[in-house]
Amino acid sequence: MNELQRLLEPTPLPQTDRAKRIPSGDPLYHEFLDFLYDEAELLDTLQLRQWGESLSQDLEYNLPIRLTRPVRQQSQTVVRTVQHMHDNYGSMMVRIMRITDTKSAWGEDPPSRTKRLVSNVRVFRTDKADEYKVLSYLLVTRSRFDFDDFDLIPCERHDILRREGGQLKLARREIIVDQAVIGTPNLGIFF
Amino acid sequence: MTSNTNPVLNDGTRISDLIDLENREVKMRTLSDPELYNLEMKKIFAKTWVFLGHETEIPTKGDYVVRDMGSDSVIVARSGDEQIYVSLNVCPHRGMKISTLDGGNASTHLCIYHGWAFKPNGDFIGAPVEKECMHGKTRTKDQLGLKKARVAVYGGLIFATWNIDGPSFEEFLGDAKWYFDTLWCRTIAGMEVLGPPQRFIVRANWKTAAEQSASDGFHTLTLHRWLGEVGPYAKKPDAEGKGGDLTPEMYGTEVWTEHGHTMRCIELDRKIRRLTGMNPATLTSEEKLTLLPPPGITREMVPELLSRFSDEQLQLMSSRPPQVGNFFPNGLFEFIYLPQPDGTVLGAMALHAYVPKGPDKLEFVNWILAEKDTPPEIKALMLRQSIQLLGTSGMVEQDDSDTWPHQTIASKGAMSQDITLKYQALYENGRPADWPGPGNVGEGFTKDDTQWQWWKYWHELMTS
Repeated sequence: MNELQRLLEPTPLPQTDRAKRIPSGDPLYHEFLDFLYDEAELLDTLQLRQWGESLSQDLEYNLPIRLTRPVRQQSQTVVRTVQHMHDNYGSMMVRIMRITDTKSAWGEDPPSRTKRLVSNVRVFRTDKADEYKVLSYLLVTRSRFDFDDFDLIPCERHDILRREGGQLKLARREIIVDQAVIGTPNLGIFF
Repeated sequence: MTSNTNPVLNDGTRISDLIDLENREVKMRTLSDPELYNLEMKKIFAKTWVFLGHETEIPTKGDYVVRDMGSDSVIVARSGDEQIYVSLNVCPHRGMKISTLDGGNASTHLCIYHGWAFKPNGDFIGAPVEKECMHGKTRTKDQLGLKKARVAVYGGLIFATWNIDGPSFEEFLGDAKWYFDTLWCRTIAGMEVLGPPQRFIVRANWKTAAEQSASDGFHTLTLHRWLGEVGPYAKKPDAEGKGGDLTPEMYGTEVWTEHGHTMRCIELDRKIRRLTGMNPATLTSEEKLTLLPPPGITREMVPELLSRFSDEQLQLMSSRPPQVGNFFPNGLFEFIYLPQPDGTVLGAMALHAYVPKGPDKLEFVNWILAEKDTPPEIKALMLRQSIQLLGTSGMVEQDDSDTWPHQTIASKGAMSQDITLKYQALYENGRPADWPGPGNVGEGFTKDDTQWQWWKYWHELMTS
């Protein structure tokens, strides 16, 4: 890894430790499930400022490029140098403000109609008592204008959720999309 | 449909009927007609030089990337002799796509269908079970290599053409080369890509993006108005346009050249005055370059620029550098100066190819670059800002990718087909007297001359 790659590399996510799994029958699991459902609702209903309040100030948010590679090189299919999104708290606030505070964010005005279908949620304790690793599948359906076709954006999210002052906040999110060539004209929406 | 000069479409329309050279209008039908699209693949993408990538994507022997040259997939590979070769990614045996990956490293490209094998330079090695001579005896091995394109590497950029005996790459650039040298050939070490390109699909005809790339400055005022509302231009002093007015950004100098390569040269004086409080008129090129180095260049790197360029080129680079422009047919470049909240300026450099994927679809490929000599911390900042403003999720360019599909859909309407795109806002004051460079030049508020030149060359190729 060269110096640039080191500078760009997001803080590595803690290894998924099966022994620290919080089972789906545990009430704690449902607190995380509710968090993911609630943020899907906020995003689908364009309550972007409210969604912004669920982001931690030290947020790391990235959406890597995928490459088509052979079976033996699967570790090289996720690229974290040039990515599709590479954001922090400040830049996410600008993205939100662009939509909420201007009259000309044409890429999302009129806005897409979306459904964020959250599933396959797995929750793990980490070495930090207040931080949890949460994995989920996300299928975003996106409808624009009077187009009869939907853009589908299937992905897996690798999150760190942190308890801050009694509330869960998103501290880290990596979105692993399935497509090497993204099938929607822009990523002007959030994941 | 014939492919002769001034081809006739199935309904009797000639190419020359679609473009009004005198009044500078183009019928919208050109933006979606499938017959025209097929002609474009042959008369434009098989004839001109096409941008495919950067040499730093394939730094070592055997490295390759798979790219599109018009409607054909090609393998761009670095061979054992360190040369870069571009070969059709189609097996001459039964037409299987040879590489189904985005790239990698291979000393042999093996077709997985029947096992025909090729070198990175496209030469045929052989078919399995040598003694059975499964490639037959009709053709020699020399005749069974992958179809090879002609390659030019310029400032690290890889271009190729199927027009083996056609104009050289330098002839193709023409007058644009004098300017492009100040962008792509700035340093001895050269540039590098900061990673693989972003790729995404826009359901629009490739020309909607390409004609915009030919230096359409005017759209920024309305389509990218958010830049002045909450974006990077919102906080500039009132003296430079109250309330985030982007109008002052529309002024500059535009250059258009014979083969449809164009650029917008935007003045830096206001930025220099704001950054330093100094009067730019009293400063030399060297002083200006040092106070506000070009995107990706640090103060320490400025002496290298001084040694590599003529006084005229330094004058351009220090006062009105090309900041956006295009390579005909489908390439766009950006060398932009981004004001930062702390009052400094950060550069961002990006290159796009709008790859045709049928009359109604394009693939937007976005490479992000820096000089190899740019310090890594600055590269990292440049990259993050490029990602946030340009390409897939770019807050600026997401507005463009929503516009092009609507133009494409509209162009199919029975009435809309004959509506014309108009390029009639023209520079009227002639070439500025003190302009240091070649080509056609207009000065003032952005106009349509550059985009019209793009269409003129499109017309020339389509009717030749």
